[in-house]
Amino acid sequence: MLKPVFMTTLIFLSGCTTIVIDEYRRSDGELAMGDSVVILGRRHSSDYETEPDLISCVGSELHNPALGVNIIPEKEFVDIMYPWFEPRTAPMHVRSLDRLLENAGVRERMEAYGVKYIVWIDGSTETTASAGSISCTISTGGAGCFGFGTWDKESDYEASIWDFRDRELSGKLSADAKGTSYMPAIVIPIPLIARVKNNACKGMAAQLQQFLVPSSGASS
Amino acid sequence: MKHRIKWNFPAPLVAMAGLLLLMASCTHTVQVADDYPTPVGEQIPLSVGIYLSEDFKNYTYREDSEDREEWNINTGRAQKNLFETVLGSMFSNTVSLSQFPQKVPANVEIVLVPEVRELQFTMPRETRVNIFEVWIKYDINAYDPQGEQLANWVITAYGKTPTAFLKTQEQALAQAINIALRDAGATLYTGFEKVPELRAFLSGKLRSASLQEFKVKSRKME
Repeated sequence: MLKPVFMTTLIFLSGCTTIVIDEYRRSDGELAMGDSVVILGRRHSSDYETEPDLISCVGSELHNPALGVNIIPEKEFVDIMYPWFEPRTAPMHVRSLDRLLENAGVRERMEAYGVKYIVWIDGSTETTASAGSISCTISTGGAGCFGFGTWDKESDYEASIWDFRDRELSGKLSADAKGTSYMPAIVIPIPLIARVKNNACKGMAAQLQQFLVPSSGASS
Repeated sequence: MKHRIKWNFPAPLVAMAGLLLLMASCTHTVQVADDYPTPVGEQIPLSVGIYLSEDFKNYTYREDSEDREEWNINTGRAQKNLFETVLGSMFSNTVSLSQFPQKVPANVEIVLVPEVRELQFTMPRETRVNIFEVWIKYDINAYDPQGEQLANWVITAYGKTPTAFLKTQEQALAQAINIALRDAGATLYTGFEKVPELRAFLSGKLRSASLQEFKVKSRKME
C-alpha cells in the first residue's frame, strides 16, 4: 500500500526534463597511463558565462582514476598556467596552441601534468519563461500560501575536445536540455524542481567518458 | 512569477525593522583581498624598481550617487599582491622601493609606478543581464632611475561573474573584481614588451650587451 504512494510522491517531487546529445567525432580517445584531461569553461562572451559549477560537475562525474580518466580541476589548471588560460588570453582555436607552446615554461608544465586532452565547454543555463502567482499571508490566526507558479529552464552547452599532443580537434559534443519546474502552494509552497543543468552535466559527462575511454561505453 | 506577502505586525515593530533594513542597505562595503598565481614564462633581463604609493596600496573606490546606494570598494591590498607577484616574476631582478624618485638603488634600470585611473561596475538590475561586471583602468608609468619618464601606457581590466552561485551582491562584486585583477595581471604580463618605448629600450640594452660581449671575445682572441 505504501509503495505506490511513495512512488507517486517521487514522480511529483521533480519537474520533467528532456535532454538531447549530439556528437561529432574525428578520432577516438587514446588515454594512456599518467595522461590527464582538463575541462575548462569559456568565459569570453559578454552576455553569459559558462558556469564554474557545471564545469566542476562534469569534472567530478568524469574523474575516475581506476578507469584511467584523471581530471585536473579547472581552478588548479588555470592557476598553474597563469596568465595563459584567462578569458582574454586563452587560445580560441587549436592552431593557437602552437604559439602558446613556444613558451618553454607552458610546455614544461603541460608535460609535467601529462595533459592529453583539453575540453572546452561553452554555453549556459537560462530561465526562458515563468508564469503563475503565489500569495502568502501571515496573521494572528496563522500563516499560509496559496497559488501556483511555473518556470522553464533551458541548457545549451557545446564541448570541443582538443588533442593537446597532436594539436588537433578530436571531436565536438553538444547537450541541450529543457525542463519545467512547478511550485504549487496550498498552505505550504512545494517546489518541484526540474534539474536541467544537472541533467545536461550528467549527459555530457557520460558522452565524454565514452569518447575518452571508448571501451567503457559498452559496459556503461 | 508574482509573490504577494501580507504582514500583520504591530506598527512600531515594523517601523523599527524598516529602519534597521534601511540602515543596513544604505552602505555596501567590499574588501577584495586575494593572492594571485605566479605567471609562467621567461623573465625579461632587466633590473626593475617597483614603487607602489600609499594611495595605490590602500585604494578604495567610493560611490554615493542618486541612482545607487553607497559603495565602498577596497582593492588596495589585492592589487598590491597582484602587482608585486606579476612584476616580481616578470624581470630578472626586482626591487620594491619605499620612496621614489629618491633612494633608487644603483643597479635599477627602470622604475615602474602603477596608478588606478578609474573603476566602474554594473549590477544585474542595471544591465538586465544576470551578471556583475567590473572595469578597472590603470596608468602604468616607467621612469629612468633619475625620475625622467620613459613610457606611459594604459591597461584596462575586465571581470564578470554570474549571480547564480553567489549569496550577496558584495560577494559577487568581490569575485568580479578579483577576475578583473587577474585580467590586469595578464594584460600587464603579455603587453609589457609591446609598448614601443620599452621595446626600443630593451632592444638597445640587448644590442649594447651583445656589443660588450663581442668586445670581450675580440680582446680574448688578441
